[in-house]
Amino acid sequence: MKKSSVVSLVVAAFIITIIAELIGTQRINVGIGTIVLLPMLFAVVMGILITPGVLGKRIAALGKAIGTEEVDLAGTFVMVALLPLGVKYGTLVGPNIVKVIEAGPALLLQELGNLGTILLALPVALLLGLKREAVGATFSICRESALGIIGEKYGISSPEGTGVLGTYLIGTLFGTIFFSILGSLSLSTGLHPYALAMATGMGSGSMMAAASGALSEAVDPAMKETVLAYAATSNMLTGVTGLYAEYFLGLPITNFLYKKLEPVLGRRK
Amino acid sequence: MSEKSAKFKNYSLVLLITGVMILVGQWIGYDKAIIPSIPGMILVLLIAFIALVIKEYVPAIKFPAFAWASLIAFILSMPFMPTAAPFLKYTNEVVFLGTTTPILAFAGISVGNKLGEFKTLGWKVFIVAIFVFSGTFFGSAIVSHIILSATGII
Repeated sequence: MKKSSVVSLVVAAFIITIIAELIGTQRINVGIGTIVLLPMLFAVVMGILITPGVLGKRIAALGKAIGTEEVDLAGTFVMVALLPLGVKYGTLVGPNIVKVIEAGPALLLQELGNLGTILLALPVALLLGLKREAVGATFSICRESALGIIGEKYGISSPEGTGVLGTYLIGTLFGTIFFSILGSLSLSTGLHPYALAMATGMGSGSMMAAASGALSEAVDPAMKETVLAYAATSNMLTGVTGLYAEYFLGLPITNFLYKKLEPVLGRRK
Repeated sequence: MSEKSAKFKNYSLVLLITGVMILVGQWIGYDKAIIPSIPGMILVLLIAFIALVIKEYVPAIKFPAFAWASLIAFILSMPFMPTAAPFLKYTNEVVFLGTTTPILAFAGISVGNKLGEFKTLGWKVFIVAIFVFSGTFFGSAIVSHIILSATGII
């Protein structure tokens, strides 16, 4: 790590953190429910804004301080900075271990619910005119394990590979923003907060944190700790089962449905 | 200096920086005085470091460091563990939401060089991804809701 890069990256992230905490948690009533905007949402938006591709190219001094080198370095920092959050999740699950075991059947079976993406997103992708790209893009939430599966089976430069990379990239760029809004807003569907909590564990630490953090601030304070404990447990389970579910269920089901649906929904050339 | 010790030196540095950012952030955002939160933060950082060491030296188990960190804290805080009471007393001084802000500040900066790729993807991929996220989320939530009702938890 180059010293000057570390210093400018840390100074930038520190200033962003301070501003985000000064803004604090904001609640916006939108009629159908309340959107809880957490400091982490403001932090990710400010982080994107100061990069070379956005404000960096307009403001010369900023572009000089945060360049390609600092952007690359930030990736390493994320991996390590996630760990204190991991510890906190552990301290939320431990004391609630009895509750978590009682909810075991729901926690295990809801992993299958992750396949809901196929039912919802595959038809949409076909209607939009995607072909084999649709299989890669919709068979799972497309985190690292999915990249591995598609990469091995079809090759990452195949149409399926283009699809999986597309969803992966959108998830990386906008996943936390999307889920930090959906996390609190989803309460208005009438689904129980505990069920929504389990749903936030999708195999991505930062998306889970965004969704469950917002959800936990929107629910009755008495439920807060259980919400976070279920979320963390669900995410750990997805970490263990996700790869197998994607490989043995997600991909075969998507391929099967593709064969059935593509002739009906796919656009003719 | 060997490659590994240089790596761990870097890890320690990043952990310390993150720790300071969290302490200042939670002082501003959640009124947590900095000095009384330090022992808890040291515990958190220590576990984080151990997680990185395990990941490096037990590569046979393909578990990310994040999961190791959760697992260690989970074991130390289970009700029947003698460590639970003191461990939770100190780590409770580290606010859950406070730990998320620095991560996302770095995460935001780290996606900066991918914005160009996003422009080449086009709006169709964006729409599909939104349906992927929603489908995954609500698929799980609906199954959970049904099973939780059936087992009498909600």
